[in-house]
Amino acid sequence: MIALYIVAVIAVFAVIRATLEKNTGRKLPYVNVMNFAVAGAIVLLLDHPLALAAAAAYFVGSTLEANALASTYAGGDRRG
Amino acid sequence: MDDLVVLLFAAVALIGAVSVYFQRDRFDKLIALGIIYGGVVPFIAVRGYLDVLIAVSLIVPITTIIVLPLCRRDTRDA
Amino acid sequence: MLGEFLHILAAAIVSWILFVAVDIFFKLPETGGVVGATAIARDIEAGGGDLAGGTMMGNIVCSPDASAGTLLAACGVYVAGIPGGLAAAVLVYIGNRICYDPGYAGTTGAVLATFVVYGFTLVGFAATDFIAGMVIAILTVQGLSHAHASQLLGRLWRVRE
Repeated sequence: MIALYIVAVIAVFAVIRATLEKNTGRKLPYVNVMNFAVAGAIVLLLDHPLALAAAAAYFVGSTLEANALASTYAGGDRRG
Repeated sequence: MDDLVVLLFAAVALIGAVSVYFQRDRFDKLIALGIIYGGVVPFIAVRGYLDVLIAVSLIVPITTIIVLPLCRRDTRDA
Repeated sequence: MLGEFLHILAAAIVSWILFVAVDIFFKLPETGGVVGATAIARDIEAGGGDLAGGTMMGNIVCSPDASAGTLLAACGVYVAGIPGGLAAAVLVYIGNRICYDPGYAGTTGAVLATFVVYGFTLVGFAATDFIAGMVIAILTVQGLSHAHASQLLGRLWRVRE
């Protein structure tokens, strides 16, 4: 179906822009677009309730990773 | 899975793999590792390995989170 | 084929309005939140963007918000109708708490999107149109021009204030 093609093309586009972007803080939104696309692709490829759980797990995992990257890039929490 | 979709997600994984080598900054390299995993995920999903997918989707980000403090410590020591 | 493409475009517009409205309602562009989000906002501002819009984009990256809720709700409705969408809302709620986010933007977006998507499926749309539509919507916010998108979001935020 056409939805899967659109999602895959958006993923490639976002990854190319992420690679070409020099600033780390601005790379992260492009990678976030790829994560949305991949989460959608999981469900579009396999129409099963567990695919929903897998998409949610992938998305939450990738968001947690981006959050950790962004906050370490920022300098982390000011502790003590 | 259609040939075109296979090609597109393989391209995602390959672009990530090439950029891991060419990026200089350590954060950019970690981001590129995440891109590689994102490109591989649809191939795991389409074969029905959903329990594997859920498990690895939790393991890969946790690995990045473990590696990050190792990066920070290097700059402070230097 | 063209008909389905137009459906996806319409779904993209509906998803855009839905997630931007819910995120602005829940004050995502307000500065001073998650450390990572402010770092991203600073870099977006340095690239010619708006700080409030950049903060919202940073918050979208760092925690499941209404955009994630809409996407997963559309996936849920595709897989299992309204119960699927509400199950997706529960998963988004859990995801929010795992990311240390005490807010309800994601959950609210997911619940609203469940009913919106289901309603559209009754008038000839497919839930997959909303999955692709939401990915297009997030592309327009975070994947095209950070400067322009953040300025648009900043202007909408000032309307709310």
